Amino acid sequence: MTQIASHPLIEQWAEDFRSQPDLPGPEWLQQLRQSAAAEFISAGLPGRKTEAWKYTPLRILEQRAPAMSRKLTGDHSESDFPAPVISAEIPTIDGLNGCLPEQLPATPAGLELLTLEKGLVTCKEQFEKLIPAIETSGASRVFAALNTAFLQQGLVIRVGVNCDAGTLLLRWAFNEDGAKAIGNARIVILLEQGARLELVEQFDSVGDVAGTLNLVTQAELAEGSCLVHTRVMKESDEAVILTSTAVEQAAESSYQYSGFDLGGGLVRHEFSSRLAGPGASAGFDGAFVLDRKRHVDNHISVDHASAGCSSSQFFRGVLGGKSRGVFNGKALIRPGADGSSVRQSNANLLLSGLAEVDTKPELEIYADEVEASHGATVGQLDEEAVFYLRSRGLSDPMARRLLTAAFCHAVTDRLANRELAEQLSALVDSAMPKSMIGQETQE
Amino acid sequence: MLEIKNLHATVGGKPILKGLDLSIAAGEIHAIMGPNGAGKSTLGNVIAGRDGYEVTAGEVLYQGKNLLELEPEERACEGVFLAFQYPVEIPGVNNTYFLRAALNAQRKYRDQPELDSMQFLKLVREKLEILHISDDLLHRAVNEGFSGGEKKRNEIFQMAVLEPSLAILDETDSGLDIDALRLVAEGVNRLRSADRSMIVVTHYQRLLDYIIPDAVHVLSDGKIVASGDAQLALKLEDQGYSWLEDGGIEAVAG
Repeated sequence: MTQIASHPLIEQWAEDFRSQPDLPGPEWLQQLRQSAAAEFISAGLPGRKTEAWKYTPLRILEQRAPAMSRKLTGDHSESDFPAPVISAEIPTIDGLNGCLPEQLPATPAGLELLTLEKGLVTCKEQFEKLIPAIETSGASRVFAALNTAFLQQGLVIRVGVNCDAGTLLLRWAFNEDGAKAIGNARIVILLEQGARLELVEQFDSVGDVAGTLNLVTQAELAEGSCLVHTRVMKESDEAVILTSTAVEQAAESSYQYSGFDLGGGLVRHEFSSRLAGPGASAGFDGAFVLDRKRHVDNHISVDHASAGCSSSQFFRGVLGGKSRGVFNGKALIRPGADGSSVRQSNANLLLSGLAEVDTKPELEIYADEVEASHGATVGQLDEEAVFYLRSRGLSDPMARRLLTAAFCHAVTDRLANRELAEQLSALVDSAMPKSMIGQETQE
Repeated sequence: MLEIKNLHATVGGKPILKGLDLSIAAGEIHAIMGPNGAGKSTLGNVIAGRDGYEVTAGEVLYQGKNLLELEPEERACEGVFLAFQYPVEIPGVNNTYFLRAALNAQRKYRDQPELDSMQFLKLVREKLEILHISDDLLHRAVNEGFSGGEKKRNEIFQMAVLEPSLAILDETDSGLDIDALRLVAEGVNRLRSADRSMIVVTHYQRLLDYIIPDAVHVLSDGKIVASGDAQLALKLEDQGYSWLEDGGIEAVAG
């Protein structure tokens, strides 16, 4: 390594990289780690001049300077994990401080769970193409580069041809060992032809731990397969969660993401979906409910590379306190991706004069007969509706909370899993900001 | 029950009510009629406590309490109910959930035990039956996608559940066809009782064919200019409001 790091934190991570013991893995992976390290060192931390990170400062990481976690496997005690958001009768995998267990739960036929280490052996040829496919160059991809440079553990989820694997729960938590560290994990999801999987990820710790998770998820959806992906962010204000999800979709496959960012101090989700085969569809739904100084950023990029594909983005944000929300939804309709349909919508409620939201839907269309709609709004509660509720006896804060929660229910209402929808509606309700305009002094 | 004395109110700085006096005893229904712009809706909104309506003089005493000092929700908890001229659509808020929250907020205020969902559902089904309303209303979001008639019936349904002691029906007949009007009026009549007073604000007499008032008042330019019994409404129907300007107040009997 000869480059000079551009930033103290990058220098620290570069040092972490140089001093780490030799990691196992095939030759191509060793080289990939080296080149990813070179990339994060030369790119430096994204700053205000990095377009994709313009609204998401990383001060909290700079102050904390978390070291790269070296731990391969954790002793996972149930007491480190809050109750699951969905009934516990489903296979559950617990990741502690970014570290996934070696012992994986029993699964129904057709669903296979492997550690990343085993996956590198079992799915050798596939991984040799898939793992390096994640974009790691430039300042905007520093965390993906870090994830690759320190790649050593993770989870592989594989669902066989025409198999409905049901629901899988992945719980992420920090305990005190995770404070001041950054955990890197890689999830690989392989759905074979006609396969179906519902993956629910819960980010939630027992205590308020200043942990950092850098999670990269790669999904390959074969023809006609379906991945339903739900994330429930319930972390404390101390937690930093950075995720990057890349989905490669064959013909008629479907990816449906629903994210509920109800917690976390700094949360950034990046998605890139490539609709590579005709008739593929990708949906991104999200609700973020922010208070205090919390920050949530959703960056979505959908690439319509084939004809007759559809994508949608539907995000609702509620911001109180001095919080900040960022939504950037991009859809690219390439030449030849005729008959595509794209819908983008982001509506936000600002409950405080000090909260801020930056929203940017972007459409680039180079094909014919494309059906496209996009819209972004930032507003306040409808005072007519507030008065209507108050005239029936609800207090002003109750009325505002009810209306604000209802605004987010537009997202939970779209969930196909009704049990989860009910749970999440209740979670959304209880996540409503304490500070609401018009009653700041009353509570 | 309700004593309004010399009420003056402005909206956006413009005087609308200019010395209104009105007294309603328990169990009575009073109709307020008058031409457009007379201040009929303003009266309802001032009593309910809507923002933007500034009372510049006078008082509103309700069961001995100064209503104007109370927040809108406190007035509701004291038993005041405004049936809106334009009920607000609230997507995402379930009708049943909202109504139970409202009823329990009122019960809590009155130191009564709150109703659990089973008790509430029982109550609600009784009221639906009395008003002949289908229970699919319960599963819908408040007023969302309701027809004009459904919205007005939902107001009456809410009134039936909340059991106010003073109800103000603000142009509840507007925008209704004759069948919908009859249904709404029947609902109102079922809710008449010796301890419930009502103010029925309307532009047209036809609602009063179904809801027979104890008294009729004519509101013009922010004041009550004539009062009488139900016959007065018929006279208005016959002669319109133009006689007001001709100084025809003396001509009114009762």
